[in-house]
Amino acid sequence: MTASVGIIANPASGKDIRRLVAQGSVFDNNEKINIVQRVMRALEALGIRQVLAMPDAFNLIAQAQEKAGVGLHVDWLDMRPTNTTRDSIEAAQLMATAGVDCIVTLGGDGTNRAVAKGCGYVPLVPISTGTNNAFPEMIEGTLAGLAAAAVALKVDGVRQTAIRLARRLDIVRDGEVIDFALVDVVVYDELFVASRAIWDIDKIQTVVLSQVVPGTIGASAIAGYLPNIPNNKQGVWLEIGPQGQPVLAPIAPGVVAPIPIEALHWLAVGEQRTVMHAPAVLALDGEREVPIKSGELIQVRLSQNGPHVVNVRAALQAAGQAGLFVSLNGKGGGQKPDL
Amino acid sequence: MALSQEALLDLYRMLVRIRTFEERVGEMYYEEKLPAFDIAAGPIPGEMHLYSGQEAVAAGVCAHLRPDDPVTSTHRPHGHLIAKGVDLKKIMAEIFGKKTGLCQGKGGHMHLFDPDLHFGCGGIIGGGIPHAVGAALAIKKRGQDRVAVSFFGDGAANIGAFHESVNLAALWKLPVVFVVEDNLYAISVPKAASTAVRSNAERGAAYGIPGVQVDGQDAVAVYEAAKEAVDRARRGEGPSLIEGLCYRYRGHFEGDAEGYLKEGEKASWKEKDPITILGNQLKEQGWLTDSDAEAIQAEMTSLVGEAETFARESAYPAPEEALEHVFA
Repeated sequence: MTASVGIIANPASGKDIRRLVAQGSVFDNNEKINIVQRVMRALEALGIRQVLAMPDAFNLIAQAQEKAGVGLHVDWLDMRPTNTTRDSIEAAQLMATAGVDCIVTLGGDGTNRAVAKGCGYVPLVPISTGTNNAFPEMIEGTLAGLAAAAVALKVDGVRQTAIRLARRLDIVRDGEVIDFALVDVVVYDELFVASRAIWDIDKIQTVVLSQVVPGTIGASAIAGYLPNIPNNKQGVWLEIGPQGQPVLAPIAPGVVAPIPIEALHWLAVGEQRTVMHAPAVLALDGEREVPIKSGELIQVRLSQNGPHVVNVRAALQAAGQAGLFVSLNGKGGGQKPDL
Repeated sequence: MALSQEALLDLYRMLVRIRTFEERVGEMYYEEKLPAFDIAAGPIPGEMHLYSGQEAVAAGVCAHLRPDDPVTSTHRPHGHLIAKGVDLKKIMAEIFGKKTGLCQGKGGHMHLFDPDLHFGCGGIIGGGIPHAVGAALAIKKRGQDRVAVSFFGDGAANIGAFHESVNLAALWKLPVVFVVEDNLYAISVPKAASTAVRSNAERGAAYGIPGVQVDGQDAVAVYEAAKEAVDRARRGEGPSLIEGLCYRYRGHFEGDAEGYLKEGEKASWKEKDPITILGNQLKEQGWLTDSDAEAIQAEMTSLVGEAETFARESAYPAPEEALEHVFA
């Protein structure tokens, strides 16, 4: 079967209220078109001929294709954009069903969360064009395209060294997983989803993280800057409150604030805890999503059921080692040229 | 909590008030005009551009405004007027062309001015945008904490005056909030055929001001975004742009055959009705019951009915008054 790559570009990311309440970057849609152009040129350069694209009301990918003038064949998913998160979920599902080898996404944490709901086992190359971007990478579009091509061409060593299974934070109600986050869950002292973003530090009551790494912004940053983080790759549950030990964290673009941690519990994969605050709203990956009613019991569980994610640099390294860039024939055998 | 029960119930009442007013005007408009659609006939002569469907934007923004905050509006002004708190009777009387109306019956539906509440509107596309900036300049020079708001549509965002206004407001850091009501069409021209950038929120970046896109059907989302924008302006931090994605239920004007609409488009937007959405959110919190909702509807129907009666029973201005009030 011909190697194929899917592209999902979210036109709505990078425009929400965090442009107003924090210094959120403006990733305008022309910049996204620019990035998609670069992805397409890179795919074409490595011999990918088949691209599956999510249609959107802003025609991001169509415009990119026109401007790039590439010889790629772009197939449009048979779906009608609703201009909501559903589009990304549906697009990912359709791409997985169609058997794409890799999906390149343009968006932030929210977009990738939606894609993760539909992509199944298809590995993702997530390019940051959102606000917090803890999950996707700040990676240049051309390189992302090259990495996606390397995955789609099944180049020796790429799958083995450059694709990891991401963690997930499952939201559990009555024993059933009703939703999930890829990076962080925040219990926010508010009743409504409204404009979705969270920015009022005083309203943060609990933070649950799927991993603890420094070098991110958003709620995921809160534990990443603590001293004495254990090395055993656990998740963490933080209770936030005025009696707590303040930790400075880059909680939003341009916003570095002291967050008082009252209690800290490390979470192993499979472990869950119950949310102690209700009524409230759960923000998943930076966006309010699940209202919790008074008296309702909700658990958050760390699981290993996340999407497969491509580490772009590792993929390019493996592909380089396998000779993809000198022979365009990195499959099996691995005949290294004498350079 | 900013999103309090009281604030959101007021928001809900405002949505119902606007919808009820607009739908009733929409019924009365056709009196005596049919079958041949004589636009000059009946109690409401002339054109009519109704706001039904877009209520969440007007209500969500104006909820944060004080009586002394200036607002400029458009050819589709009723929603903004009502949300600003202008007397329904005086609005209705002006629409009917009666002496007791806001402009003594000489302005009509598109020229509704209330100096006490600092409200103005007009049919010139984009015409109100520089006015709001002028008002904001006066506010800043006087050292006041008032905020000016300009409502306009996706079509107006391509007018030169929009760009000049945003540029100047940004340059001088003026207390003004630009609210683009993107309802997908400028009369019958779809936005994709008129606007190079597809999202007007992004245009804020061209002038160095924050631009935020918000679901214009979700009154609470608009309320939240508008609160931040208005507070920011009041604090002296300058202008911002809010783009509300919304939809007009009744076409550009009354009598619009709407041949340019895509099939099923209106129906799918009506599934996201702002009154239904907010009503459901309030019911989920236990802040509104079905009978509360019925009571609110009855209250608004009655208020609009009073405005209608007032308008119908008021006198027309006398022909001798034709040259009064029309010159500065």
